[in-house]
Amino acid sequence: MPKQHLPPPQVLGGTLDQPQGAAEKGSLASLLQPCQPQSQRSATIRRGFQVAARRGHHGALAGGPYILPRFSPASAFGSSTDSLVSRFCQEKTDLKNYTLPNASWCPDMLNLYHEFLEKTKADGWIRLPSFKSNRNHIQGLKLPLALTVTSDKSDCRIFTRCIKMEGQGYEYGIFFHPSKKSVCLFQPGPSLEGPPRFAHGGSLAAMIDETFSETAYLAGEGLFTLNLSIRFKNLIRVGSLAVLNVDVEKIEDQKLYISCVAQSADRQTVYAKASGTFLQLQLEEDSSQY
Amino acid sequence: MLRSCTAALRTLRALRGRREGASPAARDPVLARRWFSTEKVIPKDHALPNPSWSKDLRLLFDQFMKKCEDGSWERLPSYKNSKLVKEQLSQAQLFTRGYEDGLGFEYVIFYNDDEKRTVCLFQGGPYLQGVPGFLHGGAIATMIDATVGMCAAIPGGIVMTANLNINFKRPIPLCSVVVINSQLDKIEGRKLFLSCNVRSVDEKILYSEATGLFIKLDPEKSLT
Repeated sequence: MPKQHLPPPQVLGGTLDQPQGAAEKGSLASLLQPCQPQSQRSATIRRGFQVAARRGHHGALAGGPYILPRFSPASAFGSSTDSLVSRFCQEKTDLKNYTLPNASWCPDMLNLYHEFLEKTKADGWIRLPSFKSNRNHIQGLKLPLALTVTSDKSDCRIFTRCIKMEGQGYEYGIFFHPSKKSVCLFQPGPSLEGPPRFAHGGSLAAMIDETFSETAYLAGEGLFTLNLSIRFKNLIRVGSLAVLNVDVEKIEDQKLYISCVAQSADRQTVYAKASGTFLQLQLEEDSSQY
Repeated sequence: MLRSCTAALRTLRALRGRREGASPAARDPVLARRWFSTEKVIPKDHALPNPSWSKDLRLLFDQFMKKCEDGSWERLPSYKNSKLVKEQLSQAQLFTRGYEDGLGFEYVIFYNDDEKRTVCLFQGGPYLQGVPGFLHGGAIATMIDATVGMCAAIPGGIVMTANLNINFKRPIPLCSVVVINSQLDKIEGRKLFLSCNVRSVDEKILYSEATGLFIKLDPEKSLT
């Protein structure tokens, strides 16, 4: 991907025009404030936000601390779905891809997996790879400076790939369609138990959040979950398949609105219905990697 | 979650028994012998400090243990497998306790019976990552579900999550400690309405807010 020039830093949105105290608790401005009040850098950034608020939102701040760029889909760095997908999928990589059938997959899961694999040939569906950490999916990119955390343990794993033994934890595969929808085939293993022999509600919440987050990212650079609302209808038996059908409902005001229905393979049982909201945020080029 | 609820309820009754006097098992030697004979191994209580606990988590734990001294607060022990399940799947374990120390969920839940609230001290490890450097939304959702669920199970008995609505205000850095406060707002028949917030140790940062609806289950009916 050719190097792009970043747009000049601008204060994010109109909310920062208000004096610091008026920023709503739930507003984007408050979300983007750093969450490590002890560090010197956070204090500097917070002062930076206050300064930016007083100066208004026109033009770049010369010499000031880095402010998050306004999200702009049309800008040089605002990526199309195609480029997001190709970066996410990392075609030429040695990384282990967890979205491949293994001996623990039940017949329902294998059947649907192969059905969708066929759809990748003709109907434009894309099988998403799944690596050990989300960091692997965004090689060459990083979070905006204000959100970089200092503790950077190398042995981090994405929550849904934390249990290494086949069949024991989350077995899943996600297929994405550029029309902004996706399907996740999810088989919970015995390590995800809550009520005896059924999956813990939290494991389904995590699977829904992960599918939402990958779909939101590819559909429009959605990065952080703002809201997650789940209505549980029925329990999922451990070792059986749940099919999550996910749709992006709309994109507006720097937020992606997304919904999901989780049901059994034969669609006779609805396990849960969920909706979520994601914040759009552009990743930056990570020049330290070159 | 149900499994942890039933285990917790059993512990609760045992704790109450201790407060009122000797426990039923101690009073009845026959019962005690039968109980001990089925348990060849003493299960490990994970809701206790281990080397992976950060200083913040230990300090908070000590503060809450002090609050337990006058009986207004109780610590809930937490086991990997439920002692109540007769036919156990050999690989099955409570979801939140299936990790090596420090890698996944490190937490302890305290409850206050009079105020009908629970507090969970939670430290999320490197295997719970979402966006690099931060805790996965699903991991937070799991802990909120566990804390709110416990808050519902104490007055409600066997309960199941019906709705969970979480607003994420700020991302939680990986390996930091947060405090999850949950309280029972009202009960309408079999419905329990609860709310919850997730804050930093010094209470200055609000990370998330959530509301939950739990349903009391009929213990006679099966789960499907």
